[in-house]
Amino acid sequence: MTAVVSIKNARKSFGASEVLRDISLEVARGEVVAVIGPSGGGKSTLLRCMTLLERLDAGALSYGKVEVATPGSDGASVYAKDDVLGCARSRFGLVFQNYNLFPHLTVMRNIADAPVRVQRRDRAEVERSARELIERMGLTGCEDKVPCHLSGGQQQRVAIARALAMDPEIIYFDEPTSALDPELTAGVLRVIRGLADERMTMVVVTHEMDFAREVADRVVFMDGGMIVEEGPAEQVLDNPREDRTRAFLARIGK
Amino acid sequence: MPGRALRVHDGPVGKDDVQVEITTMVQMLGEGFITSFQIFALTLIGALPLGVVVAALRMCRIAPVRLIARAYISVMRGTPLMLQMFAVYFMPFYVFGVQLTPASKWQAVIFAFIANYAAYFAEIYRSGLQSIPRGQYEAAEVLGYSKLQTLAYIVVPQVVKRVIPAIGNEVITLVKDTSLAFAIGVGEMFSTAKALVASQVSMAPFVIAAAIYWTFNFAVELVLGLVEKRLAYYRD
Repeated sequence: MTAVVSIKNARKSFGASEVLRDISLEVARGEVVAVIGPSGGGKSTLLRCMTLLERLDAGALSYGKVEVATPGSDGASVYAKDDVLGCARSRFGLVFQNYNLFPHLTVMRNIADAPVRVQRRDRAEVERSARELIERMGLTGCEDKVPCHLSGGQQQRVAIARALAMDPEIIYFDEPTSALDPELTAGVLRVIRGLADERMTMVVVTHEMDFAREVADRVVFMDGGMIVEEGPAEQVLDNPREDRTRAFLARIGK
Repeated sequence: MPGRALRVHDGPVGKDDVQVEITTMVQMLGEGFITSFQIFALTLIGALPLGVVVAALRMCRIAPVRLIARAYISVMRGTPLMLQMFAVYFMPFYVFGVQLTPASKWQAVIFAFIANYAAYFAEIYRSGLQSIPRGQYEAAEVLGYSKLQTLAYIVVPQVVKRVIPAIGNEVITLVKDTSLAFAIGVGEMFSTAKALVASQVSMAPFVIAAAIYWTFNFAVELVLGLVEKRLAYYRD
């Protein structure tokens, strides 16, 4: 079993506040990991470090054999050269909490632009597979619309299609439904559930406990910049070992 | 290019003065406006791209470069364009001892206008650039766009839409500012109007000039409106 992504002894501080304290996490191919925990617990920062939007202060990060960051002699993370980082970037996709679609591009261009411009794939072929993705996301008929004419739920599904179009090995979701009304949440969760059924490797930061229980192979509970507890969903969510996990679940009404 | 020499002079009406018909006035003012338009067009052609350079320097990573750009913008915005025109006009003579020729005035006007407007455009570009949410850059980065691709395909198209109203303001101001060239003796429309008013003892030339400025700006507004409409296919 090879890990798609592996992060080891990761540390990250913003000024004086330590946001990640010695985090280690591996995600196996086909695995779905849900990351839960209180706000400010480091979940988003972990995702941002794994997607290279932030750099680790210390620790290692690798995608398969691609070593993104390695600990230097003083323990501080040393990042690889740009071409290696580019190679790592091609392995993952990220779905943001607030979608971050390109507002000036149509749904089709949002999905197909990067495969054409970045991966230099044939436009016709890319658009053909984009059309399939659009259909799978339940967005048929929206190809030529711009994001502002879509609901939040539709926009987030476009964002998922945009990530999928790059053919990543793993997709990260950063609270993908937090900006959505409950009624729009269902459609997005249905899409993610569908991906889980296809054994897409995913890491989902979420506040939807029922969803985590249903979809995740493993649940990671983070608090205070540390992984407090991790294990199978039923165990962490229904029989947590740690007091902090129990307190968190009680607080959010589980 | 120096404006067409006028046969009318600046002074009280005498028996030697020619009575000028309204149609002739319009024609003379129209000819003056060709010069005004040339100042306008050359300034835009020079200042719109130069503003990009100034904005880039203003946001440069190297602090001294940034400081120089800030100082430049500060002086350009903080002193009158008319004064800048004279500074540019006399500088070659006082500093380098270059003999001033009739063409020098025209060159000074164009140079000063471009330098001045580039500073304003630079600040508009900068505000537009900084108004693009960080998430746009992050989404592009995760998708693997290079820095240049991110600018060209993601950021700049959105900036264009955001800066159009502010650029439009400046363009309309520029149309009126071309009249400042009068002060240095370049024969554009306002110079013609002033001379006609004096020689004909009539306010009509001013009224006609105002109508021409306004008509042209009305056309500018129409064009800006069309551009805005074209870009209105999305909201952000």
